[in-house]
Amino acid sequence: VRLQFRSFRLRLLAFVVGLLLLVQAAVFLAVNAANERGARNHIHEALALTAAAFQRTLGERERILLDKARLLSGDFAFKQACATGEHGTILSALRNHSERVGASVMMLLTLEGEVQADTLNPDVHGRPAPRRLAAVLEAAMRDEFGEVASIESLGDTAHQLVVTPLFMPEPMAWIVIGFRVDDALARELRETTGTEVSLLRHTPGRGWRPFASTLPPAARRDLVDRFSAELPEAARPLNLTLAGSAYVSWLAPTESVGGTQVATLLQRSLDVALAPARRLRMMLFGIFGLGLALSLGGAALLAGRVTRPVAALARGAERVARGDYTSPVEVRQEDELGLLASSFNRMTRGLAERDRVRDLLGKVVSPEVAEELLRKDLELGGEERVVTVLFSDVRNFTSLSEQMPPRRLVELLNGVLTRVSEIVERHGGVVDKYIGDAVMAVYGAPLGHADDALRAVRTALDLYAALDDINAELGLGGTRRVGMGVGVSTGVVVAGNMGSTTRLNYTVIGDSVNLASRLEGLTKTYGVGIIVGEATRSACPELSFRELDRVRVKGRSEPLAIYEPLGPRAAVSDSAREELERWHEALERFRGRDWHAAECILAELARAHPDAALYGLFRKRVARLRVDPPPAHWDGVTTFTEK
Amino acid sequence: MAGTRRRARSWRWGWVLALLGAPAVASGATLSVTVTDSDGVPLEHAVVAAWALDANGKVEPSREPVVIDQIDKEFVPYVSVVRKGTAVTFPNRDPVRHHVYSFSEAKTFEIPLYKGTPPEPVVFDTPGVVPLGCNIHDWMMAYVFVTDAPHFGVTDASGQIILRELAPRRYRVEVWHPELEGSREVAAHDVAVDPDGASLSVSIERRRMWRPRRAPHAGDAGYR
Repeated sequence: VRLQFRSFRLRLLAFVVGLLLLVQAAVFLAVNAANERGARNHIHEALALTAAAFQRTLGERERILLDKARLLSGDFAFKQACATGEHGTILSALRNHSERVGASVMMLLTLEGEVQADTLNPDVHGRPAPRRLAAVLEAAMRDEFGEVASIESLGDTAHQLVVTPLFMPEPMAWIVIGFRVDDALARELRETTGTEVSLLRHTPGRGWRPFASTLPPAARRDLVDRFSAELPEAARPLNLTLAGSAYVSWLAPTESVGGTQVATLLQRSLDVALAPARRLRMMLFGIFGLGLALSLGGAALLAGRVTRPVAALARGAERVARGDYTSPVEVRQEDELGLLASSFNRMTRGLAERDRVRDLLGKVVSPEVAEELLRKDLELGGEERVVTVLFSDVRNFTSLSEQMPPRRLVELLNGVLTRVSEIVERHGGVVDKYIGDAVMAVYGAPLGHADDALRAVRTALDLYAALDDINAELGLGGTRRVGMGVGVSTGVVVAGNMGSTTRLNYTVIGDSVNLASRLEGLTKTYGVGIIVGEATRSACPELSFRELDRVRVKGRSEPLAIYEPLGPRAAVSDSAREELERWHEALERFRGRDWHAAECILAELARAHPDAALYGLFRKRVARLRVDPPPAHWDGVTTFTEK
Repeated sequence: MAGTRRRARSWRWGWVLALLGAPAVASGATLSVTVTDSDGVPLEHAVVAAWALDANGKVEPSREPVVIDQIDKEFVPYVSVVRKGTAVTFPNRDPVRHHVYSFSEAKTFEIPLYKGTPPEPVVFDTPGVVPLGCNIHDWMMAYVFVTDAPHFGVTDASGQIILRELAPRRYRVEVWHPELEGSREVAAHDVAVDPDGASLSVSIERRRMWRPRRAPHAGDAGYR
């Protein structure tokens, strides 16, 4: 039983934990996926926005640089310097002006694209501009205001170049002002965009290489030759792993009019971006762990609150089964189990009450009657039943009572009655009442058996056989030895509750009851222990009987054959059977008025069995009838006129 | 690329699609010259100058004073043509000062910030194109075309100029425009002028001209 409860607890725990885990796993998977997806989408959106912001930033920077270039080109002194046509003067003025605006390079070119002065290459003049610059100038010519901006490689470094015409007052030359594009610019852009910024340049034969970047050196080196000449599609997120770190990247090709292939790579570290998502995941784990622990604890507690009272109830039920009604089940709960426990305790009290009543009843009446009384409503009246009634009486009791103190006598009586009752009950009889030292037992009410008569006769035989034991047990012997007379009768009686409406007995009433009592009384007359009536004898064909006489007892006009049971037929010895036949012959002669023949047989039997009072009784009767012959209508029946 | 190279060779003759004569008239014939761009759009501000091919007469500078005003921060007129040796005055009609200058080969000069009419006119004694600017107003531009031709004029809005009082003979006609490809050159060709007069259509190729943006007027808020 304990194992089962434990398994119930385990089952509950397994169910709760399993369900919780299932739900939590589903929630976790859904949330985590959405979370991660959201984080990635967020990065992508942020990168797209940043890319737009980056382009605006670059455009803004272009405008600022152009404004600076315009300011310089409008300087009259500068125009005058340029009008001199002296290379040294012009170069010097260019250096001065580039210093003013913090440019990295400044050049003056003729409208036809011939270098007049170049701060990067002070010795060069009068030569055509380098190819890329020439392309930039061509783009400027196409512009409405002759202005253009572009990121170009000049030598080994990249510059953001702005070109504007020099008006003297006609456009007379090109001013080119360049600002270096390097890590400092990348850092500046990172400040405004919040992303890692790398600028890549493609050189035939060297591939794509970063020339300005905010990435750590290792990641930056990893970026070298990461892209083939053909760049991946722009404006869509790329997943790049640089120096072991994952970056979501956004590739934005930057406009270059001079043919320099430049691309901007905006990047966000996936680890950094996913950090909130991972924190949320850790939080989810924490919450789920806590939830699991709480559910486990709660389920264990709940299981305990179910199994403990159930176990207590089971133990209580076992106690009740053993007949212990004294300790109630202790369950202090307000729930259904508490209700069950208090109901159980009420039931126990009810059972205890009933048991006590039954015990009491069983002592006052026989267990079967008690059962019958408890089973049905108590009401007066009865039913007709064929029962066998047994009357037993202790012989010699009266003389014993004179020799003993009453307390001892009661002990003795109780001892005898207890043994008698035991034997009666062993054979399925019901002790109906004790009448002084006599016991009245009923077979067939309230419960009937097919062999009630046989049970009664066997009871009688056993009682007789048990006499020696009873005497030994009670320490009786010699003259103080008790004997016993038993009468058994079978017939129709009324069985039921007799008495008044407030006080009643379950008993049987009928002719058979009186007859049994009368037959018990006849045992002394015939010197036998047991006498049964005709009906009883007929009901026991397996037993051997001795017919004793035909009698007419008081209160009955019909003559009745009475018998003494001898035991099972098989157990009757040959000599006993022979004696029985001789006796029956003698009885026949006696009834046929053949006094002589009867006397001969009886004398013979009396000689063989000097203790048998029966033969002596009939010899006396023969002797008397010989002297005083009976009338002609004599039927051999002995009539008793007293009880 | 090709364009760049052509420009690199610059300062050369712009090419001229010239034509064509009409019946000559008596003394006092006219020559009507119409200037268009290569798309046939009439060009204002084109300078047309003509010489009789067989005349050796010395041309005197114009005695009449030539004036280039500054009105509302613009030079008026935009294009002037003067005979070599002519003195030009630059009266400033604006309430603000101007600073007229030119870095041109034909005439480099500067009239620093001034108001009203400068006391000394500027004499243009070398033929050529003299672009004028104002140092403090980048967008102000004007051209003085200095020539030694006896007959000259500037086309009107319809791209036409009629030179009058011409003797019927053959003339060399030169055409120049600020936006002429190769801005310092002139397009030239010969034409015979009958007593009835003659007309000439000249198509020139314009170049792209970038102009400085004009600053907004005071009180005109807004982005340039």
